[in-house]
Amino acid sequence: MSGSIRLSRRALSFPAAARALAGAELGGVVLFAGRVRGERSGPGRVVALDYEVHEPPALRALRELDRSARHRFGVARTVLWHRVGRVRAGEIAVIVGAAAGHRAPAFAAARFLIDELKRTVPIWKTERARSARRPRRRRRPRGARSSG
Amino acid sequence: MARPVRILLFATARAAVGRPEIEWTVPADGMPARALAADLAKAYPRLAPTLRASRLVRNGRPIGRPSERVRPGDEFAIHPPYGGG
Repeated sequence: MSGSIRLSRRALSFPAAARALAGAELGGVVLFAGRVRGERSGPGRVVALDYEVHEPPALRALRELDRSARHRFGVARTVLWHRVGRVRAGEIAVIVGAAAGHRAPAFAAARFLIDELKRTVPIWKTERARSARRPRRRRRPRGARSSG
Repeated sequence: MARPVRILLFATARAAVGRPEIEWTVPADGMPARALAADLAKAYPRLAPTLRASRLVRNGRPIGRPSERVRPGDEFAIHPPYGGG
């Protein structure tokens, strides 16, 4: 069995990731999704993150993570999916998951995968923020005149 | 004429140089990665702080020893601290 590894410019599907970890003998399945937070950034708010990747070494690092997780925790299947390009606030940027016979190795492996992905895979993000808008002035009806 | 080294710049390294990629001429027998990084820092002073915190990657593989030689035609990437997830 092997891991499912993906660097994608298209939306990531949580149900599809769950299907990639399916197996009658796999009683413990843990999936983690990381979404882009629309949090405050200075005077504005984050509307998206731009992810860039150095693809050949990133794919190699992801394959190495899959091998390590299966070797260290004995999980049967893993998912390591990451978006590249622009990801809007609220969208999923990353999904990792692990499936094993029981829950303990699946939890441990999923935690290991997300922590190590952040540390060892050449992916970078840049915030795209939008300034807070001033409240819109009400439009004056056509033909109306200022009283001032 | 020897082929130049293709230098790939990501994230803060790209911002410091203003381009995602540059070409760099090295001697025909190459030069140590550490010396190449020093030359780049001299040519692009804004890149220097990023270089100090970056991993250096030659032909897709992390450079193990700073004395490892970078040769004409190689790809040499500057990886600032990663930020996936």
